[in-house]
Amino acid sequence: MGTDTTSTAAETEATGDRVTPKGAAETPESTDRMAVLERLTSRRARYGTGGIAAFVIGWFLVSLTQPSYVLPTPAAVATTFIEEASSGGLLVAIGQSVLHWIPGTIVGTALGVACGVVAGWNPTIDEVTSPVVRLLRPVPPLALIGFAIAWFGINHAGAAFIIAIGAFWINFYAAYGGVEGVSEDLVDVGRSLGVDGDRELLQHVVIPAASPEILTGIRTGIGRCWMLVVAAEIFGVPGIGRRILRASNNLQVDVVIAYILVLSLLFLIVDTAFRATQRRLLVWRGETR
Amino acid sequence: MTGPDPGEGSAASADDGSAAFPEKSLTADAASVSGDPRVEARGLSKRYDTPNGTVRALEDVSFEVADGEFVCVIGPSGSGKTTLFRLIAGLEEPSEGAVYLGGDRVTDPGPDMGVVFQEYHLFPWRTVAGNVRFGLEHTDASDAERRDRVQRMIDLVGLTGFEDSYPTELSGGMKQRVAIARALAVDPDLLLLDEPFGAVDAQTKEMLQRELLDIWSETGKTALFITHDVAEAVTLADRVLVLGSDPGHLQDVIRIDLDRPRDRGDPEFGEYISLLRHRIGADGDR
Repeated sequence: MGTDTTSTAAETEATGDRVTPKGAAETPESTDRMAVLERLTSRRARYGTGGIAAFVIGWFLVSLTQPSYVLPTPAAVATTFIEEASSGGLLVAIGQSVLHWIPGTIVGTALGVACGVVAGWNPTIDEVTSPVVRLLRPVPPLALIGFAIAWFGINHAGAAFIIAIGAFWINFYAAYGGVEGVSEDLVDVGRSLGVDGDRELLQHVVIPAASPEILTGIRTGIGRCWMLVVAAEIFGVPGIGRRILRASNNLQVDVVIAYILVLSLLFLIVDTAFRATQRRLLVWRGETR
Repeated sequence: MTGPDPGEGSAASADDGSAAFPEKSLTADAASVSGDPRVEARGLSKRYDTPNGTVRALEDVSFEVADGEFVCVIGPSGSGKTTLFRLIAGLEEPSEGAVYLGGDRVTDPGPDMGVVFQEYHLFPWRTVAGNVRFGLEHTDASDAERRDRVQRMIDLVGLTGFEDSYPTELSGGMKQRVAIARALAVDPDLLLLDEPFGAVDAQTKEMLQRELLDIWSETGKTALFITHDVAEAVTLADRVLVLGSDPGHLQDVIRIDLDRPRDRGDPEFGEYISLLRHRIGADGDR
């Protein structure tokens, strides 16, 4: 499974999703973890704010030397942003994108986790499906646009299909790897304590044990799905992505940037919320990330 | 109740071990018990097929363990200790022979056997109480019964106050206590331990041995304890099964006739240690 793992890792990187533990250099001493954590957080917040400020200033300086159709100033983008927001166009676009982002993400995640768990658990199913999986795995979701149109039409269902494909593979491999990595001994302990049969073992031992990997997969998938929103709207389904594509064609770079910022913000909100959930679910790991 | 023969120069007489300790040699009697045994291994063999041919891990091992008895299994690496453990626990099928627990043939792992591994294998997503409760959740005990039983087991292993801690917050010794409490919670007929104290420091190990003996005498459980530590076997066991290697076989059974608690400074304790060392070594020199 070496190549598959690599491609999943590459994908993780591509989403810009930080999955590595942070602040590794300052491992909190066990004495007062909360205080250390707070200090780290405020430090991160300070440095982060500084980074954003530097980015905006850099952008501003570069934009002074360029015509606005190449790179508008931050102020111009902010004005466009406010215009789009007050006209209601922004909200409409968000609402349209969410209409396929949510079902696509949920369906793709659920199916991906379920299939990954089953393939990781049952060697026979794994052996049977593995060649097909390897054949389908490298197909980029965008290459399936033809199927999306043929099977679902140019609508939210079609876009949701594209998004679901993207979520599926990330979650499939995360769950697969997680389940495969569950120690046999842990399963033996479960069996010796009266847990019997595949379904029960999966429910009481395997899935909880693989939950860190599964949750990381879900989180990575959520990020990837926001990226796919733009791609999935390429064939005419309305939403943020469509708006960006149309603005690009008209060289309205300020609109493009405004909507890119919207995408980033939406991702940030969803990712932060999910990270909080993840942290709460994985409190037993005794680490913060 | 006499100790073993002192047996001078055990290393020198390795070519003929049984002569140095005449009355402690393997006999059919020593491997069986009077009355109905709690555990019986009958002609256990295990072979594994590997690409390089068949590996014989265990060959024709037969013994009995009496109800309430504490039996240690000792042997050098490659003597099939862990294989024997897994066969008795029902985690693997013997190639030949069978294991009987209370007269019933063991075919699957189950709550009639409390299994404790060297690496604890606690469920990391569950608290101490959650781990101890795990087996009880698959019985038809009521919630109140479960709570009561979990608390009693946690008290028994001395972890009162740590009910809500997660395994990552515990030391090795504490984790092993949780594993023992978890195994005992379902009230098994046999406590089966595979080198449970192999991963903790010497001091903790001695403390855990004392605690295990306390728990054993308090609960009256039958215990089968795998170890490679001779002193541990002499500290704990009523009888010690000595396994030899290539292939793993039952080489010797030695009864430890010492009152508990046993004192490591006691000369007789030392004699048992050299006797066991000799028996294990005699096989290695074969």
